[in-house]
Amino acid sequence: MLTTMVERLRISGLRKNYGDIVALDGVELAVEAGEMVGFLGPNGAGKSTTMRSILGLVSTDAGTISWNGEPIGKDARRHIGYMPQERGLYLRMKVHEHIAYFGRLAGLDAGVASNRADEWIERVGLTDRRDSVIQELSVGNQQRVQLAVSLVHQPDLLVLDEPFAGLDPVAVATMSDVMAEQVDSGVSVVFSSHQLELVQDLTERVTIIAAGSTRATGRVADLRNSSPRRLLSVAWSGEPPDWQPSGATPIEAPAGSSAFHVSADTDSAALIAEAARHGSIASVTHEPPGLDEIFLELVDA
Amino acid sequence: MILEVAKRELIVRSRTKSFRVITAILLLAAIAIPIAIKVWPASDDLEEISIGLAEGAQVEVAGADLPAVITLFGTDRYDFDFVDLQDAGLPIDDALTDDEVDVVIEPGPTIVWKDSTDLELGFLLDAALQQQASIDKGAELGLDSAEVGSLLRPTPIDVRFVDEPEAGDENASLLALVSLATAFIIPQVFGQLAMTSVVEEKSTGVVEVLLSHISPRTLLTGKVIGIGVLALAQMLIILAGMIAAVLLVNTVDLPDSTWSFIPTFAISLIGGMAVYITLFALLGSLISRQEDAAQVMAPVFIPLMAGYIVGQTAAFGSADSLLAKILTFFPLTTPMLLPVRVARDAISGWEVAVALACLVVGILVLLRVAARLYEFALLHKGTRIGWAEAVAMLRGTA
Repeated sequence: MLTTMVERLRISGLRKNYGDIVALDGVELAVEAGEMVGFLGPNGAGKSTTMRSILGLVSTDAGTISWNGEPIGKDARRHIGYMPQERGLYLRMKVHEHIAYFGRLAGLDAGVASNRADEWIERVGLTDRRDSVIQELSVGNQQRVQLAVSLVHQPDLLVLDEPFAGLDPVAVATMSDVMAEQVDSGVSVVFSSHQLELVQDLTERVTIIAAGSTRATGRVADLRNSSPRRLLSVAWSGEPPDWQPSGATPIEAPAGSSAFHVSADTDSAALIAEAARHGSIASVTHEPPGLDEIFLELVDA
Repeated sequence: MILEVAKRELIVRSRTKSFRVITAILLLAAIAIPIAIKVWPASDDLEEISIGLAEGAQVEVAGADLPAVITLFGTDRYDFDFVDLQDAGLPIDDALTDDEVDVVIEPGPTIVWKDSTDLELGFLLDAALQQQASIDKGAELGLDSAEVGSLLRPTPIDVRFVDEPEAGDENASLLALVSLATAFIIPQVFGQLAMTSVVEEKSTGVVEVLLSHISPRTLLTGKVIGIGVLALAQMLIILAGMIAAVLLVNTVDLPDSTWSFIPTFAISLIGGMAVYITLFALLGSLISRQEDAAQVMAPVFIPLMAGYIVGQTAAFGSADSLLAKILTFFPLTTPMLLPVRVARDAISGWEVAVALACLVVGILVLLRVAARLYEFALLHKGTRIGWAEAVAMLRGTA
């Protein structure tokens, strides 16, 4: 079945300078309806500035941001849910009160905001903390409140800046589940994270930026396959032989194994056959590098 | 949205323990003071004076007792104790040197002091001894003490003023002082609360979520209204307690200017809170940490202190000096000077109207400027924004 994806958000050629400091230098980012995009980059790459510009919190020097094909404006921004990198919470407010308050600011009626707050409190697992003061909550639970705040007005796009930072595995699972549910219901999600394995598991598509400009964008599998390198890993049945394929770069491997970076155009079958001539092979893998290595390749370039 | 922001400020701030405790303490004080004045009226504070009577001092002449005459003369001021030095076995010099007595009357009559004269007491003793001597001379002329008393009875002397002083003039000064202190303290206390609130929103990052939904102008206006209403609510609670206590014990004689004073004071106080809560909130947007607050607050205290100092002079001295008149029309000092001059009845109706109009215009201009700067400054992180940078932001050149 052929499905047509609708582009919900597009950022083109975004530039921003703070005096002599170049914060954004032509950032490109696109998010389709019902799609989750990982927005990756090292610290200071411009991820937060880009995300804040989507919300209109930063005025840019050049470039465009469009929403459903039109320049983004005040009305469109009402359909965005935002979670900043810093935990943007009123620490002295109660959980339900806080979520409902932001529902009201997003334009919901008081009754609707209150009901939605209760629904999200239940969904993120904070029912027993409904009337707790936020500063009494753990970091993970505060993060759940923050997620509920970003979702209370049923946005079409979620912009989450480092949503997994500081969370325990249970909270990470809750956060991931909610994000996946939102995508399934047609909401677009763009999030930043340094936890690349998690990004690889959650998203099909990523955009990687460094020094304020986009270095790569596309499906994770495509980015991995586009790498000029492959990872060859051989687990030996006995003592590892003193063997290194020609043109390969040895890398750190577990005990009883050998691992190499080899060129992507190397014949993998020939390599495995050569390995078999040097020792007894228990198992072998020949695959593109993971997202973490791709990230480092692009960022260091 | 403005009302939502105001409501949040009102609810969250009013339920803090510090706010409730301070309100309760002030309410108790407001109720207790009028009651205390009634229950414990100011004491007479009579000065205790010990007078030594030396041997041979004329104690009684023609039925007039010297101690009784002295006591009569000093009844409003002194509590006299008379010591017969002969009975007490005290030589005159020793009695004074050892502070057993404050003054001695010896035959002559002579008033003996230790080392210096108490002018007021000396005048009183002199008058009493003169009267005693007159009675003595009257007796020699065959007059009894009642006839002498009739001769010496002072003729009542009336007093007249060219400018009749108003009834309750002292209370007018007191009213002016209370209004001045209120207009000086309340706006800065609640202004600093607004400043804390803004810095808190910046430091926690919640301002980013807020501004993704509402404009900086909405946020600022809601904050000013919310904290302003909170301040008024606290004042009304305290005022209600004080009025109830005053009515209960009926201790205060209100000056004639009270009824024109109350509405002017209420309006100018609300204006004062709008001005200073806006200013402090604006200053809060220039910094990112509570520790930096002292660095940016100083300029606000210049008009506050100027208004307070000139206001004090106007409350107790000349309420229509040129400086007091000028500061009445300057929006940053109007809330302090206007009620003071109204309480002293030293301002005309048109001046009140113009001063209030200046205050309203000042608030509108300030809110406009503040909202513009607030918009730029709220999302600024890190070091505080300098004044030059703030001006550049206002001009749109930053």
